[in-house]
Amino acid sequence: MVENNGIELTEQETELYDRQIRLWGLDSQKRLRAARILLCGLNGFGAEIAKNIILSGVKSMTLLDHQNVSETDFCSQFLVPQESVGKNRAEASLLRAQALNPMVEITADTEKLDDKPDEFFHNFDVVVVSEATTKSQIRIDNVCRDKGVKFFAGDVWGTFGYSFADLQEHNFAEEKFKHKRGKDKKSEMVTTTVKRTVNFPSLQKVLDFDYTEESFVKKIKRTGPSFIVLKVLQNFREKFGRDPSYKDRSEDLAKLLAIRDEIAPNLAPDSAFVHVFAQISPVAAIVGGELAQEIIKAVSQKEAPHNNVFLFDPTTCCGYVETIAN
Amino acid sequence: MAASIAGVFEENLQKKILESKVLVVGAGGIGCEVLKNLVLSGFGDIEIIDLDTIDVSNLNRQFLFHKEHVGKSKAEVARKSALSFNPNVRIKSYHDSILSTDYGVGFYQRFNVVLNALDNRQARNHVNRMCLTANVPLIESGTAGYNGQIELIKKGLSQCYECKPKPTQKTFPGCTIRNTPSEPIHCIVWAKHLFNQLFGESNADEDVSPDTADPETAAEAGKEALATESNNKGNVERTSTRAWAQANNYDPEKIFNKLFNEDIKYLLSMETLWKTRTPPQPKLWGEFTEACVSENSVEANKSRDQKIWNIEECAKVFATSINFLKDEFIKLAEGDHLVWDKDDKHAMDFVAACANIRSKVFGISQKSRFEVKSMAGNIIPAIATTNAITAGIVVMHTFKVLQELYDQCQSVYIRLRLTGRNKLFDPDKVMIPPNPKCYVCSPKPEIVLKVDTKKMTVKSLRDDVLIKALNMVQPDVIIDGKGVIVISSEEGETEANDNILLKDIQIVDGCILKADDYFQNYELSITVIHKDVERDDAEMFEVVADPGLLKPEQQNLTAQSTSKNNVAERMETDGNNSDSDCCIEDEEIISILSSVVIPKKRKLSDEGPSEKRLKSNNEDDDLILVD
Repeated sequence: MVENNGIELTEQETELYDRQIRLWGLDSQKRLRAARILLCGLNGFGAEIAKNIILSGVKSMTLLDHQNVSETDFCSQFLVPQESVGKNRAEASLLRAQALNPMVEITADTEKLDDKPDEFFHNFDVVVVSEATTKSQIRIDNVCRDKGVKFFAGDVWGTFGYSFADLQEHNFAEEKFKHKRGKDKKSEMVTTTVKRTVNFPSLQKVLDFDYTEESFVKKIKRTGPSFIVLKVLQNFREKFGRDPSYKDRSEDLAKLLAIRDEIAPNLAPDSAFVHVFAQISPVAAIVGGELAQEIIKAVSQKEAPHNNVFLFDPTTCCGYVETIAN
Repeated sequence: MAASIAGVFEENLQKKILESKVLVVGAGGIGCEVLKNLVLSGFGDIEIIDLDTIDVSNLNRQFLFHKEHVGKSKAEVARKSALSFNPNVRIKSYHDSILSTDYGVGFYQRFNVVLNALDNRQARNHVNRMCLTANVPLIESGTAGYNGQIELIKKGLSQCYECKPKPTQKTFPGCTIRNTPSEPIHCIVWAKHLFNQLFGESNADEDVSPDTADPETAAEAGKEALATESNNKGNVERTSTRAWAQANNYDPEKIFNKLFNEDIKYLLSMETLWKTRTPPQPKLWGEFTEACVSENSVEANKSRDQKIWNIEECAKVFATSINFLKDEFIKLAEGDHLVWDKDDKHAMDFVAACANIRSKVFGISQKSRFEVKSMAGNIIPAIATTNAITAGIVVMHTFKVLQELYDQCQSVYIRLRLTGRNKLFDPDKVMIPPNPKCYVCSPKPEIVLKVDTKKMTVKSLRDDVLIKALNMVQPDVIIDGKGVIVISSEEGETEANDNILLKDIQIVDGCILKADDYFQNYELSITVIHKDVERDDAEMFEVVADPGLLKPEQQNLTAQSTSKNNVAERMETDGNNSDSDCCIEDEEIISILSSVVIPKKRKLSDEGPSEKRLKSNNEDDDLILVD
C-alpha cells in the first residue's frame, strides 16, 4: 500500500492543495503524492475519473486506451479536442489532462488492455478498468489480488452507471464523533480515530452471485432497476463485442430487451432503456466522482470504503451501495 | 453535445435541451462542473455570471482554470475553457455581481431554468426572490467538504430558499472577546478586531481594550474607582487604538507592552472576573521566560505554517508583520485603510501571532498558523469529487425540470458515510411544499420585528434590518395607515430621517410598517413590538416570521445535527468568500420550525457551541455546507 514517505510538502503543494488538506489532512495528501494510478478506458467516465484524481495530486497516472476518438466521445469526454476524431483516445487526452495539474506525471499508453502482461499491473498502487469485457476484468482483478494492488472497475451507459471495488484486505482509519460533557459542563465534540480492517471478495465471486434469488429480487424492487439494466448492458457488450449505439437505436433497443427477457424478465421496464446509447455527461461526472473519491479513500486509508458495488439510479438520483457475495 | 446527436436522448428531451436557455450563477467549484455538463449535454445557449477572480487555492477543483489564469475573471475564463469542449455553443459571461440592479426580473425571465452555484447566503436569498418573482424554476446547490445538497425551488410547488429558518452566524459577546477569552477562537476574533483597530476600518463594536462595563463587574463597589483610574491613566478609554499607535509610530515593542502587559494588568484589577477563572499572566516584551529551547523535536520538523510558534517566535512575527503593515498603511491616501485578507501573508501572520500571544497570556491552547487561518478566514474545505457529483445531480434535475417531471426533483443529500439503507446520495421521499408562513414566498408576507424603538435609528432599520437581515436591495418603507414615508429608495429623499430614533418618527409598539422592494418586487408587512435592550452588545432586534412559535435556539440547532438531512451553515464573516461555496441549512430543523429568527447579533452564552466544535462537526457527515 502507499506509504506516507515522510517528505514534507512543498510550499507550492500546500498552496495548491490547501482546501483539500483542510479536509483530509497532511498525512492523506502525502500518501496521495506517492500513489501511482493506472486508468484503462478513456471514455467520458474515464475522463471524469482522470480529472478528479489528477487534481487530487497523485504521483502518476497512466492512461491506457487502444481505441480512437469517435463522435460518441463528445457527449462526455472533455479531455479530447473535437479535431482529434480518429486519433488514439489516451494520446488525445494527454494535453488537457496534464494542464489540470502540472505536478502529476501523466503518460499515455496505446496498447490493448488484453495484450498487457500480468507484471504490467504490478507497477501500480491502484488499477481502474472501464469499458472492458468481463473476462478481462476478472483476469486483471486476479492479477491485482496477487500483489495487493487495489482494483476498481466501473462503467457508464447512458444515464446508468456503477463502480466495483476489490481492495482485498484493506486497513483504514475512521473518525468517530462523540458528544462529551467536559469539566465545565460544556458539551464538546470529541473525535477519536479508530483503526479497522475490511475484507473484499474477488470479482469472480461477485459475478457468481445469484441475483435472481428471492431476497435480492425484493431489494431490486425497492431500489429500482439499475442493477438489472447494468447486467443487461454488460451482457450486450459480451454478446456483440461493442456497446449499444444511438446509430442503431431501435435495433439495439430490441436486442437489449431480448437480453432483459432472457436474464431477468419483469425486473426492468422498457422505459429504463431509453437513455443507454452514449455516456451522458452529468452521470459520467456523478459515477466518476464516486469512484475517484473511493480511490482517494483507498490510497489515504481514511474512512470506510464502499464494499463493494456502487449503483446510481437516474430517476431518483439515489446513489447506493450493495455488498454482494461478502 | 449529446443533444445535437440524434438518438442519444429521447426526442422530447433532446428538443428541450436544444431550445432552452440556462443561467448559471457562480463559476466556482460547482459552476465549472455544471458548465461542462451543460455544454457536453448539448445546451446551446448558456449565460454565466461571477464577480470573482481566480485564486491558486481554487485550482484543486475548479478545473476550467489553470495556473496562468490566476487573477483573471472566473466567468470569462470558464466561458473560454468550456468553449474548447464545443465551440458552437453560445456562452455569455458576466464578470459582475448578481446583486447588481442591472439584473432585474426581466433578465431572469429570459431563462427556462436558473442554476445557482453560489457561496454565500445573501446572493442565494436574492436569486431565490428574483426567480420566485420571475416564476423561473431555480436549482439550488452547495457543498462543503464531503457533503453536498441539491434542491429544486419552484414557486407554489416546493419550499423556497427562505421558507426555513437558517442557523445564524456565531458571534461572541464583547466582554468574552475583550476581557475573558477562554478558547482559541476568542483570541482569533480579538486579533482580527485589533487588525481593524490599527489598520482597517475601525468599528466601535470591535474594541479590543478591556471592557469596564462587563455585566459581571457591574455590581462591584470598586467599579467606579476602576473607571476613574482608567480615565486618569488613559489606558482604557483611550481615544482610539489607532491614534495611540500612530502617536507611538507603530512601535511593535510599545504596542506589545500595551496590549499584553498594561491592558492585562488592568483586567487583573477587575477581580470579580478571576474568582472562578484562571487569571491571565501579563507578558512584557523581551522577557520571555520560556526559552527558545521550547522547540521540541516534533515541532521543529514541521513547517512554519504547521507548527505551534513559541512566544518568542510569535513576538518576532508580531514585530515583522506590524512593520510591514505600517508601511503599507502609510502609503495609502488619507482616510483609506487596509482590508484584512486571510491570503495576505502579513495580515495573516499578524492575526496568527497576536491570537497566539493572547492565548498564551490567558492560558488557552495555541494553534498553528494553518489552523488559525481556517478559523479566521472561515475556510470551508472543498474537493473536486463532491463538486462533480453535486453538479452532475444539478444537471440531471435540469433535464427533469425541462421535461416537467417535477415528481423526480426531490432534494438530494450527499454524504461521506452511508445512511441506514446504504445510501450515499439520499433523495427526499417527497417534495416539501412551501411554508405557508414564509415571509418571502407566501401570498402576503409578514413578520414581527422586536426592536428597541428608543435606541434604533431609521438608518439602522434600513441597513441592519431590511438590507442585512431581510436581504432587501432598495427598500421603501411607510407607516401603515399614516402614509408617512420613513425610508425611500430615491436617493436623498429621506436622508433627513437617517439619525432619527424609531420612536421619534412614530414607529412604536404595535405599529405596522409596509416595506417594499421594487427591484425584487417584494412587499413585506412588519409589525413592530418594542423591547428594551440593556446592553450595547445584546441583540438590538429580532425578526420573528411566525409569532405563534418560539424562536429556535442556536444550541438546539447544532445539538440536533445528527440526522441525515442536517446541514448547518457557516456563513462567510468578512465577505472575502472567494472559494468556499458555503451554505445550506438543516432540513430536519427546518421541517419542525416554521419560525424565522434573524437576530442582528446573537448573544451566545459561554455554554454555547464552540467554534472548535463546529470545526470538528465540519468533517462529520452529519453536517452539510455547500460549494
